[in-house]
Amino acid sequence: MTDTGSRSVLRTETFACVRCGLTVTALAPDGRRRNHCPSCLHSRHILDHVEGGPSECRSRMTPISIAVPRNGDWMLIHRCVRCGELTSSPLSGDDNQLLLMRLAVRPLAQPPFPLEGFGDL
Amino acid sequence: MPRRKPHQHRPQRRKEVRPGPGGGQGDAFRCVGCRLEVPLAAPGTAHRNHCPTCLTSLHVDRRVPGDRRSTCRGRMTALGVEVRGDGEWVIIHHCLACGELSANRIAGDDNALALLRVALRPLSGPRLPLLQRAAL
Ligand SMILES: [Zn+2]
Ligand SMILES: [Zn+2]
Repeated sequence: MTDTGSRSVLRTETFACVRCGLTVTALAPDGRRRNHCPSCLHSRHILDHVEGGPSECRSRMTPISIAVPRNGDWMLIHRCVRCGELTSSPLSGDDNQLLLMRLAVRPLAQPPFPLEGFGDL
Repeated sequence: MPRRKPHQHRPQRRKEVRPGPGGGQGDAFRCVGCRLEVPLAAPGTAHRNHCPTCLTSLHVDRRVPGDRRSTCRGRMTALGVEVRGDGEWVIIHHCLACGELSANRIAGDDNALALLRVALRPLSGPRLPLLQRAAL
């Protein structure tokens, strides 16, 4: 996307997903500003989380994991395909539930050790 | 615990020996989580960056794993598990002091039960968004 495109994002409160092209309202149903596409869950690297402030990177960020802070809600972890930076963000009510669930169960579908030895956890 | 795919690790850059994350003797460090004395040499990785027993790490890297340019030195706990394209598990660590995230490959002697608990966390407890909404 061009700079002209990103300025109009601010005016109209929508953005086009960098991955699937969907036009997404910047505000989620719960009234929070969202940072990823509710359909494909991809995001864009626009904030620098190490230094703080905006990032020059602006590359696509891939959803890589579901994480749960202590006593917290599900968080979606993204990694920038260009610079590797990691971010976490809260979910929106209209996020693709099946993609979220697929991310959540992926570690158990591909364990690095046999699961047979674990009865109850 | 035997690993199912022990030889799928991609080769890692050689790193010179340096003081451990806890400021240890060079070949071991004291875990900030469980206080265990942990040898730096780890099966399957060139350099250990988390405790194999409790999975706790120390915030010493800034942008790149191994750059050791962070001055934070906060405690990092395992927040989640990522599965790479080749099936390898990677721990997502979260710094309790500054909130920074980092991704660290698991080592061959990491506690399997501790790893499994982190991987299961999204699927256990009352926080399952899909099931809540579907009102099963
Ligand atoms: Zn980036
Ligand atoms: Zn930190």
